[in-house]
Amino acid sequence: MVARSRSVLSDAEQVQLAAELAALGARLQVLETETDLSRERLLRLYKEVRGASPPKGMLPFSTDWFMSWMPNIHSSIFINIYNYLRCHTASEGIRAALRAYRLYLEHVEVHGLERVLSFTRAWSLLRFVDGKLLKTAPCRKCGGHYVVHSMDLHQNYVCGLCHVPSRAGKTRKAPVASTADLDEVIVA
Amino acid sequence: MRTEQLMEQIREANLSYLMLAQSMIREDKDAAIYRLGVSEDVANILERLSPAQLVRMAASNMLLFRFRFDDRLIVDMLSDHGAGKLMAGSHAAVLMSARPAAGLTN
Repeated sequence: MVARSRSVLSDAEQVQLAAELAALGARLQVLETETDLSRERLLRLYKEVRGASPPKGMLPFSTDWFMSWMPNIHSSIFINIYNYLRCHTASEGIRAALRAYRLYLEHVEVHGLERVLSFTRAWSLLRFVDGKLLKTAPCRKCGGHYVVHSMDLHQNYVCGLCHVPSRAGKTRKAPVASTADLDEVIVA
Repeated sequence: MRTEQLMEQIREANLSYLMLAQSMIREDKDAAIYRLGVSEDVANILERLSPAQLVRMAASNMLLFRFRFDDRLIVDMLSDHGAGKLMAGSHAAVLMSARPAAGLTN
């Protein structure tokens, strides 16, 4: 088995990574994908870190979530930070994702916003971008880069912040309820 | 007299900036590169400066750091924060993280 031949040091690194991910609210599937630790060990680790069993069921797989107004802004902030780190630092892969997510959380806190993007969502976003389902496109007005569907037309794209939909930000409760999928619930 | 005060204040601002930047870089270089908006080269140089060098660099009649935005839109968003547009701070964050980092040209 792979597990036998792995060095103690790299094992420790993997455990550390898995613990960090779990602490940020990542679902078990994320831990399984990003580390080579066995499912049983991850399960134990998850329970130890979060004090509860991981939620069951599939990860949210819809790319449409990233298109609604508030989620789109939050995911765009995250992916801009991520791209900045990828471009200007040596961080890569899951490490860059972790760091970008922490910086995103900081942004949310400083501006008194809600934590709309969970780590699992942020991670899925990067997977969707990797899989070319989603990408970023520049807004025609402000020039900022925002998350869009790869297959849509973007020549005249205007972001949700330059052209705020009339109901945006008015439904305080509704967006919370709709985004409260499993990983938000365990974070709360 | 007034100029002297001004020079003193500029030196203090320079020194606090340099010291803050250095401790940020030593703490977590990658996050500091994002927060400072500088390239890795610049971060490496700042990281290695000795206290004496910091003091020498700070002693100047010019500020060592300058505005991070060259765009009227970002200035408006940042200064209008909380008063006007919805989520101006977030909008500015999206725009600012797309700016190139300040780097060195040999």
